[in-house]
This record gives sequence, structure tokens and C-alpha cells, in this order.
Amino acid sequence: MKLRFFTAGAAALVLVALAGAQQGSAPAKVKRTADGHPDLSGLWAYAVDLPAGGIKREVNGKVIVKQADLSNRRAPKGEVKGALPFTAAPAYKPEFQAKVKDLFDHESKTDPVFYCGRPGVPRIGPPRKIVQLPNEVIFFYEDMSGDTYRVIPTDGRPHREDANPGAYGDSIARWDGDTLVVDVTNFDDVTWFGEGGYFHSDAMHVTERLWLDNGNLVWQATVEDPKVLAAPWTVTPRVVKPTNEPLEESARCVEDDGHRLLNNDHHGQR
Amino acid sequence: MKYRIFAALVVLMAAGSLSAHHSTTAVFDMGKKVQVTGTLNRVEWINPHISIYVDAKGEHGVDAWHFEGSPPAWFRRVGVNKSDIAKAQGQMITVDGVRAKDGSLYAYLQKITFADGSTLETVPAGQIPEK
Repeated sequence: MKLRFFTAGAAALVLVALAGAQQGSAPAKVKRTADGHPDLSGLWAYAVDLPAGGIKREVNGKVIVKQADLSNRRAPKGEVKGALPFTAAPAYKPEFQAKVKDLFDHESKTDPVFYCGRPGVPRIGPPRKIVQLPNEVIFFYEDMSGDTYRVIPTDGRPHREDANPGAYGDSIARWDGDTLVVDVTNFDDVTWFGEGGYFHSDAMHVTERLWLDNGNLVWQATVEDPKVLAAPWTVTPRVVKPTNEPLEESARCVEDDGHRLLNNDHHGQR
Repeated sequence: MKYRIFAALVVLMAAGSLSAHHSTTAVFDMGKKVQVTGTLNRVEWINPHISIYVDAKGEHGVDAWHFEGSPPAWFRRVGVNKSDIAKAQGQMITVDGVRAKDGSLYAYLQKITFADGSTLETVPAGQIPEK
């Protein structure tokens, strides 16, 4: 009897060890839903630009320094498997180039996001939480302009024809192999699609691609706007780690520095 | 006059830790260090910058100081909640920062020293060891 317990225990230990070795050496196996697609569901790390640096907390002589993990917002190091070729900046038609430069030069006065406005798609970036259901996926976001969500059909239906235009547009999605391709139209022309003064027209069309790579979520978007862009623009892919950090309501946004700005200095946020 | 304004030695201390949204140099004079000791009136956990209000004794009565800091999402990810600061509401605290260029009683938060001597202080990225 004792021997049998011992044997069973040893076998279990070997299995655990093998499982550990597998995780350590090979890429994580893609988790799939019942219909065979990769399962993108889950919580993904907060991927909004935050200040570098950290906080030093000293209590009773004990010092703890903690720094925010900014890796989810930074450009990935090295090649990202499955990513489309991308460029740092979009190409505007010649007649709009001066306008883009002027908007960017005065970003702290002209950027809607600076004044708590919605970033819209694609500037909002990858979602913080994904719920993947058989006929739709739901993206949840944390954003200081308001914690928005997008319910995106994947059942083959066309875009809505009765929806009002907005910052996040109207989305439908399909699977291209193991990549979820989200097609977004019906935008208003209020948002920027990037921080560099990247205004757009109501003809903007965005294609987002999401896939899993070794347990991380990869997100990449392509922006087309035949009215203002000379060519489609594909953004730098973003690689976001899974997290257990729950979604939390973003604090209300009240911009109070606009009237105090004495120059045009600014820098990254979304 | 409980606060004192120092000159530029701490510019490097401030650089790097104060980024987000607008550049701090657009509003604050990084060389104008200010230290305010007074009563923590209230804490507002709002975007795009948290706000801390401190009432200090001034030459002509109470000086109502307003310190702004990084966004709530940043504080959350460096392990600081609103309650870590708001717990001292009504108590004396000392706050270090850099003062607004417009000369108002407005400054960028760098350090809080609580009545029990414990502190919270921003640290530039360059001064934190890489993991």
C-alpha cells in the first residue's frame, strides 16, 4: 500500500516536471475555443503611456521603490511574428502636410485627448479585456475619457447602416487563419488617429489585427483615409502581456492646465 | 511664511519623473523648488493629474496651495492609492515640488512627508536599478 502511494506520487512529480520543462522550452500552446479559433479572452496589461520613474516609499526607515511597467506601451524589441510591415508616421497628401505639422506643433492646445477627449480607434490601442463569444467579441478599455467598450459581431453580418458616426466607429470582425481582423468604419472626424496631429476625415477606414504570440496579445492597425492620406498607414505592432490586474473605473478627467501652458511643449500619452 | 523656494539644484531630480500629458516645463519652472508645510485640505484622484490641496500659513492669512501629480493610473501601478495620501486629511504634511511659472500657489508634486515621518517621493527612471 505504501509502495503504491509512493509510485503514484513519483509519477505525479514526473508529470509536473515534464509540464514545467515544456513550458520553459517551447512556445506556449495557443488556447482555443470550441469552434477552433484562438481564444483571445482575458485581461491584458494596461498599455497607455505613463510617466517613467517610480515612487520611493519610506516607512519606519524601510524603503521600497516601485516602478510602473511601461513595456506594454513601448515599441517591441525585435521582430514580431505575424506583423505587417509598418512605418513610424503616415503619409499625408501634400496639401495637408502643413496642417498636420501645425497641429502637432501646438498639440497641447489642439489635441482632443489632451483635454480629456476620446482617443477613438485606433489610437485607443489594444483592449484591456476581451470576452470572446461564438458570435461576437467584446473589447473593454480603461481610458481617462471614459471606460468604453466595443461589441463586435463575428457572425458574418455586414456593417450597420443606421449607426451614427463616432470616435470608435462601427466594427465587424472575421478570422483570417489565427488572426482576428476587425473592420471599422463610420467615424466622425473629431479624433486624431495618432498623437502626431494625425487628423482624419469621416472617410477613415481602420483594420485592426489581433493574434496571440507566445501567450501575449499582439495588436496592429492599418489606417486608410482616401480624403487626406496618400497611402494606407500601418502602425507599429503592440505586444501586450496577460495580466491578473482587474479592470478599474478610470477617474473622471478634468484638464486644468490648458490656461497655464506657457509654451507648446508636450509629449506622449496615447 | 512656512514655505521656502530654493534655486535650481534639483532640476535633475525632477526630470524624467514628471512626464505625462503636457511637458511639465510648459507649466512649471523646474528650478523653482518649493516646500510647503500645512494642513492637507483634500485629495482629488482625478485625470489627467491627481491634485493635493494644502493650506499653509502665509503672510496675509492662509495660502491655499495646489499640487498636481501624475495620473491615477500611474500611481496605481507604482502601488499608491488615494487613501495612502488622503489618510492624512486634516493633518499637517510637508510637500515638496516645483512651482508654476505663472507664480500662482500651484506646483508639481515631488515628495510628501507625513506627520509620522513616512514619505512618498517620485524617483526619476534613471535612478531606479534595472530589474
